[in-house]
Amino acid sequence: MSNRAVSPMPGVRHSALGTSLVLALTMVVTLAGCGAETKVTRVDSGVVTDLSGRWNDTDSRMVAEAMVKEALGTPWLDNYTRSHRGKQPVVVVGTIVNKSHEHINVQTFVTDLQRELVNSQKVTFVAGRGEREEIRQEREEQAMHAREDTQKAPGKEIGADYILKGYISTILDESEGVKAVFYQVDLEMVDLESNVKAWFGQKKIKKVVERKRTVF
Amino acid sequence: MIARHLTFPFLCLSGLALALSACGPASNRYALIEESLRAGNVQRADQIVEEAHKDYDAKSQVLYRMDRGMTLHLAGRYEESTSVLEKAEQMVEELYTRRISTHTKAFLYNDTELPFEGAPYEQVMLNVLKALNYAVTGNLQDALVEARRVDHRLNVLADQVGDKPDAYKDDGLARYLSGILYEAAGELNDAFIAYRKAYDAYLAAQTWSRTPPPPMLRTDLLRITDALHVTDEHAQYRQAFGDTPWQPPSDPQQFAQVVVVSYNGAAPRKEDQFLDLPISLDALRLVLVSKQLQGGSSANSREARAVESVLYGLNGRVVRVALPRLVPRKTAVAIEQVSLGGADRAYGTHTELVQDISALAAKQFSDQFNSVAVKAVARAAVKYMAAEGVARSTRAAAGRDATAHLIALLVGSLAKALAISTEEADKRIWQTLPDEIHVARLWVPPGSYELFVRPIGKGGGPIGRETVRAVTLRAGETRFFTERVMP
Repeated sequence: MSNRAVSPMPGVRHSALGTSLVLALTMVVTLAGCGAETKVTRVDSGVVTDLSGRWNDTDSRMVAEAMVKEALGTPWLDNYTRSHRGKQPVVVVGTIVNKSHEHINVQTFVTDLQRELVNSQKVTFVAGRGEREEIRQEREEQAMHAREDTQKAPGKEIGADYILKGYISTILDESEGVKAVFYQVDLEMVDLESNVKAWFGQKKIKKVVERKRTVF
Repeated sequence: MIARHLTFPFLCLSGLALALSACGPASNRYALIEESLRAGNVQRADQIVEEAHKDYDAKSQVLYRMDRGMTLHLAGRYEESTSVLEKAEQMVEELYTRRISTHTKAFLYNDTELPFEGAPYEQVMLNVLKALNYAVTGNLQDALVEARRVDHRLNVLADQVGDKPDAYKDDGLARYLSGILYEAAGELNDAFIAYRKAYDAYLAAQTWSRTPPPPMLRTDLLRITDALHVTDEHAQYRQAFGDTPWQPPSDPQQFAQVVVVSYNGAAPRKEDQFLDLPISLDALRLVLVSKQLQGGSSANSREARAVESVLYGLNGRVVRVALPRLVPRKTAVAIEQVSLGGADRAYGTHTELVQDISALAAKQFSDQFNSVAVKAVARAAVKYMAAEGVARSTRAAAGRDATAHLIALLVGSLAKALAISTEEADKRIWQTLPDEIHVARLWVPPGSYELFVRPIGKGGGPIGRETVRAVTLRAGETRFFTERVMP
């Protein structure tokens, strides 16, 4: 009985089998895209998550920590404190220019830098240019609208001794799906009075991102 | 028993029918978009793309983002445009990894099953548009990030292409825009490198790009080499450019620069070109009669193709190969007159061609055509063999039962009709791009002006609409303005 299922025409069985294979393959690949799902996992903010190889929160935090540690461990700080009878230097964060290939949120990095510096208790921080405008506007409004005994007077801001500025740059190299990304962060502490560069720090990160050319 | 034998062919056909069901109706969205742009209604053009999102299938999401990024850019929604184009760029990067299953499916079905990743020139345009989005909003730092990205993209492309002569491996517009951005940011050395690369790119592609180096680029090279005191290069350019008029750099901080970028006309589109190959005398007659009956412009219509598929399926001896055809649509605009009128002064210049998108598309199309054609022929042959296999197996299974034989005949014809009707060329192309891109640069003293942009046709007379906007320029700043001109 089972032989009756085979075509009586020679060659037809092979042809049918070939057709079956081709069309079965069609069905398999048609259905291959199904089954996507979203999964969310909560992780600690300190966990390293390198997903795309781009500049991320971990890079920002690690570079800020390392560079501030380096900045505070070098002689310029002791020299200043000694020559100013124990007074802490006042620092303002200037512009960190993004010269990289990525749209890096420089503000996040600046905030990381400020946090590390403030928490070190070795320098005094004053608000940067953007923030100052907002604060001054607030004082002006106080002068017009707030009770006199609570108004904050202008002209009492503390001038910074040093400005911290720098660059984030990248060098890219890529071939055959392998991309090497080299980040370099250069920071410098410039004496606002004399323009002397009191400290120069550099941190480098290198990442290699590999992508497969073909997968099933 | 017969029913058991016929089960498999029916299942196969069901599979093909299932696959076919993914085909949506041909969309006329681009015609509507262009109509809106001609009417000067850029918001409507963007709305059309947004509403058509569901018509772009999962494999065309990069194309949707390209189209949307462009219309958002034209509508002045720069931040949203950047976000959409950024996503498109990320998706293109992810598509570097090719899925064998997807490519197998495309080979068995048609090239529209492949995820659209855009041609290299379209990928470069992602960065160019993003850079312009940032530049128009005055964010030079982020515009320069795009300039660096495009530099990297073009370097990788040049490595991939190798020494192949006449290949698209650099992009004059992308390099030139980078130079303008670097110069605006005061980074003169980077600007010089970018200008030089732009000039070399224009020269290298001159045989096919229909875009000679813009005359203003010569002036830029003379000006910047002089400013940088790179005397050897300056002397070389002076010798090469002959009597190109230029002025030594005065203090740029005393002037404001206006850069007008004009998008003229519509990028080419692609359409199907069917080759129906008869493999018997009867089939030849049928193809000839069918073509004679349909003739004219309706030959490529969906209805005509459906009728042909059924007729050819019944005949069973026709193989259809679908190939794309590029349809250029040249703009009627030659230049734009750009003038800045103040209270007691007026300054004027005109735009120059910096990119011929149609030429880039034609180059890409001709470079790819052979491999697309070979694949299309091979696919048509495989489909025909598969359909023939189905027809034979059903006939064999039907045996001598008259009803079953009739059903088998029907199944065989359907299989061949399906094999023919699933043939379709990949017609996806970034169609919201313009035909040509023109740029004008003008340095003027700071102050308040009215900026006039008047398109001039190839016959020398005004064409389309003149636009006017009030601008206030500060010393040292560079302001970017974009125009969409449709004639």
